[in-house]
Amino acid sequence: MDTKTTAARAENAFKVYGSGDTEVRALDGINITFAAGEYTAIMGPSGSGKSTLMHCMAGLDTLTDGEAYIGDQALSTLSERKLTLLRRDNIGFIFQTFNLIPTLSAGENITLPLTLAGREPDQEWINEVITTVGLADRIDHRPNELSGGQQQRVAVSRALATRPSIIFADEPTGNLDSVTGNEILSFMRKAVDDYGQTIVMVTHDPSAASYADRVVFLVDGRIVDELTDPTPDTVIDRMKTLGG
Amino acid sequence: MFRLTLKNLLDKKIRFALTTLAVVASVAMVVGVFAMTDSLRSSFEGLAEDIAGSSDLSVRSVQDLGDEFDRKPVDEGVAGVVETVDGVQLVTPVVSSFNDVVVIDREGNAIRPSGPPALGFSWLPDQFFLINGGAEPSAPDEFAVDVETAAKNNLIVGEIYNIDGPLRQEPFRLVGIFRFGSPERHSGLGQTMAAFELETARDFFGLEGVYNELSLTVTAGTDIASVQQAVQQAVGPGLEVVTAEAIREETADDFNSVISIFNNVLLAFAFIIVFVATFIINNTFQIVVSQRIRELGLLRAIGATGRQISRSVYLEALLVGVFSTVVGIGLGVLLGNGLRELLNVMGFSLPSGPIELRPRTVIWAAAIGIGVTMLSSIVPARRARTIAPIAAIHSDQRLAGASLTRRLYLGGAMAATGAILLGLGLFAASTTRSVLTLVALGAVLVFIGTNTLSPSFARPAAMIIGKPLTLFGISCTIARGNAARSPRRTASTAGALMIGLALVGMAGVVGSSLTKTFLTTLDNSVEADYFIQSTSAGFDPSVTFSEEVVEEIRALPEFESVVRYRFSQGSLLINGDTQDIFTADLAEVELHLDADIERGSLTNADPVNGIAVHRDKADDLGLTIGSPVEVTFPDGQTDTLTVEAVFLDNSLFGNWLVDNVVWERHFTRTGVSFASATVTGFSDDLPEDQQQELLAKAAAAIEPVTKHFPTVIAENRVEFRQSQQDQLNSFLAVIFVLLALSLVIALIGIANTLALSVFERTREIGLLRAVGMTRRQLRRAIRWESVIIAVFGALLGLILGVVFGVAAAIAIPDSLINTASVPYGQLLSYVVVAAFAGIVAAILPARRASRLNVLDAISHE
Repeated sequence: MDTKTTAARAENAFKVYGSGDTEVRALDGINITFAAGEYTAIMGPSGSGKSTLMHCMAGLDTLTDGEAYIGDQALSTLSERKLTLLRRDNIGFIFQTFNLIPTLSAGENITLPLTLAGREPDQEWINEVITTVGLADRIDHRPNELSGGQQQRVAVSRALATRPSIIFADEPTGNLDSVTGNEILSFMRKAVDDYGQTIVMVTHDPSAASYADRVVFLVDGRIVDELTDPTPDTVIDRMKTLGG
Repeated sequence: MFRLTLKNLLDKKIRFALTTLAVVASVAMVVGVFAMTDSLRSSFEGLAEDIAGSSDLSVRSVQDLGDEFDRKPVDEGVAGVVETVDGVQLVTPVVSSFNDVVVIDREGNAIRPSGPPALGFSWLPDQFFLINGGAEPSAPDEFAVDVETAAKNNLIVGEIYNIDGPLRQEPFRLVGIFRFGSPERHSGLGQTMAAFELETARDFFGLEGVYNELSLTVTAGTDIASVQQAVQQAVGPGLEVVTAEAIREETADDFNSVISIFNNVLLAFAFIIVFVATFIINNTFQIVVSQRIRELGLLRAIGATGRQISRSVYLEALLVGVFSTVVGIGLGVLLGNGLRELLNVMGFSLPSGPIELRPRTVIWAAAIGIGVTMLSSIVPARRARTIAPIAAIHSDQRLAGASLTRRLYLGGAMAATGAILLGLGLFAASTTRSVLTLVALGAVLVFIGTNTLSPSFARPAAMIIGKPLTLFGISCTIARGNAARSPRRTASTAGALMIGLALVGMAGVVGSSLTKTFLTTLDNSVEADYFIQSTSAGFDPSVTFSEEVVEEIRALPEFESVVRYRFSQGSLLINGDTQDIFTADLAEVELHLDADIERGSLTNADPVNGIAVHRDKADDLGLTIGSPVEVTFPDGQTDTLTVEAVFLDNSLFGNWLVDNVVWERHFTRTGVSFASATVTGFSDDLPEDQQQELLAKAAAAIEPVTKHFPTVIAENRVEFRQSQQDQLNSFLAVIFVLLALSLVIALIGIANTLALSVFERTREIGLLRAVGMTRRQLRRAIRWESVIIAVFGALLGLILGVVFGVAAAIAIPDSLINTASVPYGQLLSYVVVAAFAGIVAAILPARRASRLNVLDAISHE
């Protein structure tokens, strides 16, 4: 696999709220590239702009200045509808909570982006994903009949279902206990290793970040540091220096 | 707490507007009905005054039975007797003819208002006031007409007009135009008034040797009461002397009873609207409370008591109620005008007095506007009280409601009780009042019961209704899931639509049964080929046409026989009960109508002393062929008639049938209500083209007659069938229009619920949009959810409607409906209409949902 291919990137990205005295720069000139098949964790204290960066990269929010690309597609040039279709076909999402549509079964939730597109799911691939995350016997259950961990596994499966060019995960384990959380993180790691999936994950948990290939540190809307092949300890060390 | 409540209200403007709209509509409807009928009352009171005139006393026959226009006339000799009584200054004999004096304009059209009567009078000097130098009619070929009729129809003084009278048509020269009631202002409610010189009028109206009444003026300074007594003594029993005041009251009472019918019918519709609105308001408050559950929990956590919480809900209801009442009263006054216009468009001629807002109306408006909102907020407020402080922290708190099993028992019990009351009302109650009370109470209980019950099957029902939709993709699957996910909400939203459609469905079944019975009778029991009736007959027995019409048709060789019919409601006394009566020319009627004679014969009956009776009545009274029957008529006479035939079909003649000879003996009215004719040589066995040829000949032959008498229309079987069906359909259309408002309110309810559901599901919508649902797909999902709810409500309503309708069809006397018929196609079209309505209701909520900012929606809590 060619690791040189770019899955997504931001060029000189600014996101400014308010003006004058009340001006807040959530993103203050960010340049970052996410290579295909790479697992990136974005870390930073509250208010550092890590969620904003993710939202802007994913087409959920717009930049004040600069440009975000998914593949070669500049997001600012897309209409609302095109952006929606881009999300549907090329981006996967995993949120901290409330990842599933309560009226749909686990199986329906997983194939939701495909059915929204009116595409026949690749059943073999779906089955493989479901088996990998261990949901085979839960497929007809409604979200409220599933545990938090199971729900999150459904969310991971849904994100993988379309084989998107990039998956954005926003604190995917924030609401789970550590054992369940580690399971989810392993699945995500496996998706990168086995299927070459690109993942960008926002987290403030060092052990979660250690599953990634590299960790990007944000403070006050700027990239202040980067770490490759992290372990929980190296992440914690680096955080300490940033904090100090 | 007050400030918080107020802020909440102002914060949620759309929700407030939607809730208010339902209340405003109910208040406006009630106010509109009262305001309009009050204004009618005032106008009619004025007319009653003018009718009573300025004379002091009237002498007329005593009447115990029958319609005012069937009052027996006074012998002309009485005038001489009255004149000699001390204190009587002036005696004015009056003759009049009710609803059968019709002026024909220069183009040959009959001037006959539909609704108000066409009246004929002798000249009344103290009530008719000439305008523009016209003259009062004084010669046998002269007449005068009221100013309204003259102006509307371009009648010109000096021209000669044909006038249809009760006996014949005659030409008269118009010599004067007058105002009725006062010299300045004509007192008209759409009636037409033709006036003639006294002797001319008597001759033209067929009142030889008699007057309808004598108007007396008392010598100035004499005590009216003592003169009244003296005159009464002079004229003896059988006649009565009444004051102008008494006549005014009588007339006003008559008018009032008509207005009350209007009032009650319209109020029934207003009540339906109020009922539907109650559903919607209750539903809205329920949702509002569940929506604010975290906020209310927070208030509890920081120290608000449960009582304070529920009080804030009541306060919100009160504010909505007060606001809606004020707006509703304003709109109601406008609606009153609108209702009057609507009724006028439908063929009534209502006077256009100013719309009146009496204190009683305002009190009702407040009671309904505030009462209904307060009442609907009781359950939500009680639930709000039970919200625990912990609700502030847990986001997935749900309000406790009655369990579905409890609902099942409670709803079932209510619906069953309602059904029993309905049954009692339809089949066992005797007076009109008790029938209406039981039926209304029963229906309300059935509705509430069904609505209590329906959440327990709303989920499977929504799943089944939505099943075919899932073929159309994920949006529909989501719509179906959403419609099924909160059965209570779906059920109560659908409930409002259910009521309207139950009533529409019921009207449909009753209407279709009426039509079917009528058509079956026409096809099976009617042998006549032609039917002659007044242009605006309806079911008003006072609308008649003259015998001359019948004579002209009888003279045509194309027609073999003509039978005249007359009928009168409640003007006979048999065995102590008032009865309706029909008349026919017995010798020939069997050629025209087949009443399924069980025993005896009409053809061979003695027309002078014979009577025919329906089997049920015969059995009740133990009558058989040859039995004597004592019959008392409106003229006070009692005849002993002999039963000549017993018939089985009462859809033609009701229960009692006599010959026209008997009628002519006891009624002064000579006009004919209806006539049928057989075409010479016509038979159903003839080949089709010969039948058509005979009918064409008959049509050509009868045309000069209807041209001569534009007050009548003659129709063959096919035309008659069609025109009767049209009449019924336009009647049903009126009912549907009145029910439409309740459907509109139900739609507001659906829109309201959807808007709130959208709000509740903001995060879910955000998620859907994030993973790639387009705006269009989202709108579609909400639209179909709305359709599923609407169809659920429509089906529920139509099922109830069919049950109600069939029960009503069974309860309605066989003479009107003898078979229940369910118009499936029509009912299906209502479901389609409901589905479309659902789409309309979803427009705004769907647009709102699709415009949500994705990121905001996801982070919404």
